[in-house]
Amino acid sequence: MRNLRLVRRETPLAGGQFRAVLVGVVIALLVGVILLLATGNNPVSTYLRMLDGAFGSPRAWSNTLTRAVPLGLAGLAVAVAGSMGLWNIGAEGQIIAGAIGAAWVARLAPDLAGPLLIPLMLLGAVLGGAVLALGPALARARLGVSEIITTLMLNEVAIRIVRYLVNGPWKDPEGNNFPIAPEIPDQAKLPGLFERANIGVLIAAVVVGLFGWLVSRSAWGYELRIAGSSERTAEYVGISLRTKILTVLVMSGMFAGLAGGIELTGSASRLVEGVAGGWGFAGIIVAALALMRPSGVAAVAVAFGAVQIGGLSIQTQGVPAAIADILQALILFGALAAAVFGNYKLVRGEPATTLDTAGGAA
Amino acid sequence: MVNLWPDYPWGGPATIAFGAYSRHGGTRGTLVAPAQGQAVELDNIWKRFPGVIANAGASLRVKHGSVHAVLGENGAGKTTLMNVLAGVYRPDEGTLKLHGEDQSFAAPADAIAAGVGMVHQEFRLVPTFSVTENVVLGAAPRVLNRSALEDQVAALAERFGLATDPRREVWQLSMGERQRVEILKALWRDARVLILDEPTAVLTPVEAEELGRITAAMAADGRSIIFISHKLDEVTAFCDEATVLRGGETVAGNLAVSDLDAGRLGELMVGEATAVSQRRVRTTQPGASALDVTELRVVDLHGRHIVDGVSLSIASGEVLGIAGIAGNGQRPLADALAGLIPSTGSVQSGIHDLSSASPNERHRRGLSYVPEDRIGVGLAPRLSVADNAIMRTYRTDAQGLLIDQDKSVAHAKDLVERFNVKIADLHSPIAGLSGGNLQRLLVGREVDGNPTVLIAAQPTRGLDVQGVAAIQRVLLEQAEAGVAILLISEDLDELLALSDRLAVMHEGKIVAEFDPDKTTRGDVGVAMTGAVHAEGASA
Repeated sequence: MRNLRLVRRETPLAGGQFRAVLVGVVIALLVGVILLLATGNNPVSTYLRMLDGAFGSPRAWSNTLTRAVPLGLAGLAVAVAGSMGLWNIGAEGQIIAGAIGAAWVARLAPDLAGPLLIPLMLLGAVLGGAVLALGPALARARLGVSEIITTLMLNEVAIRIVRYLVNGPWKDPEGNNFPIAPEIPDQAKLPGLFERANIGVLIAAVVVGLFGWLVSRSAWGYELRIAGSSERTAEYVGISLRTKILTVLVMSGMFAGLAGGIELTGSASRLVEGVAGGWGFAGIIVAALALMRPSGVAAVAVAFGAVQIGGLSIQTQGVPAAIADILQALILFGALAAAVFGNYKLVRGEPATTLDTAGGAA
Repeated sequence: MVNLWPDYPWGGPATIAFGAYSRHGGTRGTLVAPAQGQAVELDNIWKRFPGVIANAGASLRVKHGSVHAVLGENGAGKTTLMNVLAGVYRPDEGTLKLHGEDQSFAAPADAIAAGVGMVHQEFRLVPTFSVTENVVLGAAPRVLNRSALEDQVAALAERFGLATDPRREVWQLSMGERQRVEILKALWRDARVLILDEPTAVLTPVEAEELGRITAAMAADGRSIIFISHKLDEVTAFCDEATVLRGGETVAGNLAVSDLDAGRLGELMVGEATAVSQRRVRTTQPGASALDVTELRVVDLHGRHIVDGVSLSIASGEVLGIAGIAGNGQRPLADALAGLIPSTGSVQSGIHDLSSASPNERHRRGLSYVPEDRIGVGLAPRLSVADNAIMRTYRTDAQGLLIDQDKSVAHAKDLVERFNVKIADLHSPIAGLSGGNLQRLLVGREVDGNPTVLIAAQPTRGLDVQGVAAIQRVLLEQAEAGVAILLISEDLDELLALSDRLAVMHEGKIVAEFDPDKTTRGDVGVAMTGAVHAEGASA
């Protein structure tokens, strides 16, 4: 194994990453078989149960789709920025900011009618995400400060703010001293769609679909892709990079904020510290698996959601939670690791030691 | 034998001398003693890529201490064969011997360790590192003493006439200067076999002659130089022997360059006689002035005036050539005229004052730009042919927010057909296209909107014979159609053939202007060195 190393393919693998990812998932499932056998579980029935739990019934579908909503919006946030070569690592914090924004609207106008209140709360969520992304966007566009660092660090800020709110001014007096905010009014909750899914699924589908389409088809998206390919080419064509960077990063924050709003008005019903649930970080994986193409985010988000929901459902069958988590991690790891082989291959040989090697193989 | 080689800072190189050869007679050295052995023996090399056989049994033998030309059209397999020798590619079949010993390179590091250095066409330098840091990267002594290293690099550079400041960062350097850094890198690693992949593509004639002296000196030191080129005059001037590739095969090996002439070489390379170089034949008189530039200045980050008060005017239908050694302000001049970098002074095009106009507005007013850096500025490498074709038209062709897909594909098809771009698929990324096809696409797109002014920076650099001819033909057609053309080139023959007037830039200024019909390469070359400040300072 020591003399195996990765070498960039002279031409990308035919059929693209999709084939590689599929192979990676299959390998992960095979490794999972060993794990399940070793722990005394029947691998066949476990995998069937996973599939059934994710897609086997309308209820399963509703769970999977509900889970895909924050994953898809966070993935879109990362992928839209990524199409331009920008890295928004702050979707987690922006989701929190969005949930705070939505909760704030509900606190300010708790008696508004639902059809008015819900759109206002979602607007508050979008603005919340935008506000958190604005600082990094301005710093990047005006001063060239790396957006990776600033967006990442603002996650911590957002977590501290929500922690302060639910422990302090917004703490539910009837919450038995738990760090939670009061439940939002009933009319502020998103109407159901089918089974456990609410219309948040539709909202997310429209937003992800629309922007995926805009990035690949609109003049705006075209300029984004030029800038992502080469900033100097964008300047040559007369695209204002500053404006583009600013709008794209703020927009990215808006998508993540919307995810927070839907989460609050949909499943969560009240502001809690863990409202973002790690979906902001999972969004990076979603975007990476979609190859940073917003048009691919929806499908990846549903598949990712299915893995999570399937993992949960086998726990009801007696598979320990730890094993279920390991299976989920294996599948994601397999998919991500395999995606590399679309562009790289393993070869035997002496390990690369000089920079010239890396440059020469490019 | 004079030892041209400095002692190595980290404990001395293997000082191998392959026999004491001496050269006589200026830059065009002739081997006095016959070479005893082969430095490089590549035999029956096959290398296949999906859909392409790049090398189909190619062979190459290079004698010790010689300068060996490898000739061939773009796509003849030269670069692939060199990449095999440099350890970048592993051949599917075939054997490789260095100094008589079998070699099998798993990585470029192996080739470097075996004494093979390669200067690629696209430079592999770290832009934010200094010259010294780039040169010693991966081959530095254990204890770093920056100023000592800088002195050693400077000494090495000076010894071989590779004028460069070891403290400057690479991003500040012109293409010609970057090439010198690449050569220094190979020399620092004590390359016994040095591959130069189309080295003169980025050089002026004066710099090319310097390179000839450098290669001669290295060969006299027992090193073997492989010199890839398209140009016969360079080959006869700098090289001892030549190997010609065509279609991935060696069609002629170890020809003595004295036996070569243009007709025979052309026949070997393309299988037919090459076309005579085109020459501007006026059928129309220049019209009204289309571009008037007054006192244009560009200041770089260090406060230096890299364009220093340039004034010029070009009439419609006229070609103004700009000659100069790389790094004398040609590139910032072009960028400033296109509005890509800030400048002071006045830029007028007809009735329009473009002095402070955005790149976009300049283009709307009829100013097209073919930049020197095709793939990093003029084109977006990760986007498709169709996407690259519509860069200048998508704003006006858009239907509301959306790009009109049918129109964009039709536009791309039209460009591809009219300018003879060879592609497999309009929707695949352009990154895989050859230099000639990229340039046909770029030039085609830039002249498509009937510009009034065309700025063409190094439009034919690195292209094969047909590519050069195709681009030059387009430029001449545009001039005949009344476009004012600013042609910046490092190919003096091209400038003399195409220009109506020829200006020379030196240190940011226009120092001389010539009538191409009444001057010689020599006169222009002298002006390029800055030796003569004659014939008025404005063009």
